[in-house]
Amino acid sequence: MRVAAGVDVGSTQTKAVIVGEDGGVRMLGRALVDTGANVQRAAENGFLEACRESGVEPESVGFVVGTGYGRYKITFGNTQMTEISCHARGAHFLFPSTRTVIDMGGQDSKAISVGEHGEVLDFVMNDKCAAGTGRFLANAAEVLGIGLDEIGPLSLRARHPVKITTVCTVFVESDILSYLAQGKKPEDVLGGVHLAIARRTVSLARRVPIDPGITMTGGVSRNTGMVKALEEVLGTKLQVNSDAHFAGALGAALFAIEKMGESFESGIWRPSNATPRG
Amino acid sequence: MGETQASEYRSDIHRQQRDLMLRWYQRLEESAHGGPPAVSLMISGNCVELLEAFGAVPLYPEVNALQLAIRHQSLDPILAAEEMGYAADNCAYVKADIGAMIKGITPAGTELPVPKLVLCNFVGCNTYVKWFEHAAEFQNAPLAMLDVPFLRTAEPRAEDVAYIVCQLKEIVKQLEELTGRRFDYDRFREAMRCSARVEEAWSRIKHLARRTPTPFDAYFDAITLMGPLYVYRGSPEGVAFFELALRELEEKAARGEGIYDQERFRVVMEGPPPYPFFRTFRDMFAAWKATAVASTYSTVGGLWEFGFRHDPDHPFESLAMHMLAHNVTNRNYLQRYDQIRRYIEEWDADGVVIHFVKSCRLFSAGQGDMRGYFTQQLGVPTLYVESDLEDPRYFSEAQIKNRMDAFFEALEHARSTGTLHRGAAAIRHAPGGEIAPAAADRLKILQ
Ligand code: SF4
Repeated sequence: MRVAAGVDVGSTQTKAVIVGEDGGVRMLGRALVDTGANVQRAAENGFLEACRESGVEPESVGFVVGTGYGRYKITFGNTQMTEISCHARGAHFLFPSTRTVIDMGGQDSKAISVGEHGEVLDFVMNDKCAAGTGRFLANAAEVLGIGLDEIGPLSLRARHPVKITTVCTVFVESDILSYLAQGKKPEDVLGGVHLAIARRTVSLARRVPIDPGITMTGGVSRNTGMVKALEEVLGTKLQVNSDAHFAGALGAALFAIEKMGESFESGIWRPSNATPRG
Repeated sequence: MGETQASEYRSDIHRQQRDLMLRWYQRLEESAHGGPPAVSLMISGNCVELLEAFGAVPLYPEVNALQLAIRHQSLDPILAAEEMGYAADNCAYVKADIGAMIKGITPAGTELPVPKLVLCNFVGCNTYVKWFEHAAEFQNAPLAMLDVPFLRTAEPRAEDVAYIVCQLKEIVKQLEELTGRRFDYDRFREAMRCSARVEEAWSRIKHLARRTPTPFDAYFDAITLMGPLYVYRGSPEGVAFFELALRELEEKAARGEGIYDQERFRVVMEGPPPYPFFRTFRDMFAAWKATAVASTYSTVGGLWEFGFRHDPDHPFESLAMHMLAHNVTNRNYLQRYDQIRRYIEEWDADGVVIHFVKSCRLFSAGQGDMRGYFTQQLGVPTLYVESDLEDPRYFSEAQIKNRMDAFFEALEHARSTGTLHRGAAAIRHAPGGEIAPAAADRLKILQ
């Protein structure tokens, strides 16, 4: 079996996926670690953990593609690709009917228009500011003193979601505090926060044609409240599952299998003191 | 992607360009000490030929501003202007110029004169009006406004041409009084003749970029040639320079030399460049061996590749026509669409890259729709990136590189599957890629 890996070093989390090919391609294992300050170390740890999970030796991985903002820091990677290409590819693998990808990560949100074979036709991303990204949700959770994993489910209980008028990650704090001071319930505040981001994301996504077959990927795809808010604003169901969070790394691994091609060379794994390749 | 360095064309052209620009700054310094009179002018559709008739030197605040940015010196003057009260979203060219004036910073370190006249040739961008009012005030120099109506129709109206001619003649009188020199009509016509020759050479250079590979980059290399184009267009030095540049580039083309060992992608550029990160931005294209075969920015001062030339037999009228209709800034938005579309078709491009400039309303307003028009109506791959032309604070290298890499990855993939189309084929391939007839009507490009 030919084995390849994809490592997606994001701003907050690093994801790694191992895929194997004999006949068809399948996902063998995946891992998630915090990126932290040492990007290189995070990439290594993620990769090694994914190997363990897959039951493969690091040396038997024939090709590694790095993606995400830290992609150039992956010393053992063979090549790099942007997460735009990788998310499109990964989403298409998970849901072959994918034509639009909405990816929401820690500091980025993007919409990708995808062709029949998972290729990128067009994409748009949020600009420099973190409005409407995972960062915005994290700030809201912090102000409310609620764990990041709990805000989604809690927001689903909102009966009268408040109107959040700002999408600024900094100013949302004062909006939230003033609603709490007015005696609004945390779930209604969260309902409003989720809707505000969903509206912003959808208006971004409308700049590429939103074709049916919408798959959500990225860290925020685990947030059930966000999925529902997006579905509400879009007026349609999203395709999402527990692997969607790993779509970038998965896409990278799929490119890795493809790029490995005929020139399969075993044992590319080197610890971080080795010189970077590629 | 591996880091390919941009291999911009280096030869006599570059040496001479540097000499010419240095000579310009020297003449400005001479002007500050009783030499030839200097007159401030805007780049857009500029009427530099009029100054030639007085032997006056043009003083272009935009050139000064971009020179500061390219030398990484723009932030200090921008901050100085903001301290005075200029807002964060004011045009950063204005802030750099005013800030530099206040702080006494000049790009070449040479002295700049107080202009005899601050001539606001208001063409397309209404920021000019306030900018030049302020510049006149700060320098205690007289101000004249040339009001050029925006081009709303396909053909300029005769009344508009007459209106501009009338104003130009008033400026002539004003300049005679301010400089104490007589308007030399023969010299004026001679300047028109020189301009026509420069425009012919420049236009041929641009048409060389229709070849595959293109011998020069019509964005990054074109910018190098733009300084002499605006300062020396109406003079024999300008003619000598551009005819030399044309010869050199023709020879390069004849040898089949491109920008890279192998040209992989051909794009049309829209919008001014991020001058504070000019090299970094260029390297992002170089990493993919992508060249710009045409650019709208290089037509701000004048649009000549579709045939317009200054006419020595009708000097005032042709100046008016140039200001009114033959520069990208004064033309209507649909004409800009059509200009880009022609570049895609006739210059054989694979896609379009739009650089949105946060502080420039004139160029940037509407570029989101423009992206939509090219990607969705014409089916042409179009990338949109944002930063600024002068303010380094708006440039986020990792984000821009990410978008550029994703764009070229997609093009590369499309090529590998045989779905990337070039030139006219790229457009024909679009589903329903025709412009609505009503719009097409207004779109007729001016010859
Ligand atoms: S707003 Fe744009 S066109 Fe107007 S002066 Fe500034 S940079 Fe130039």
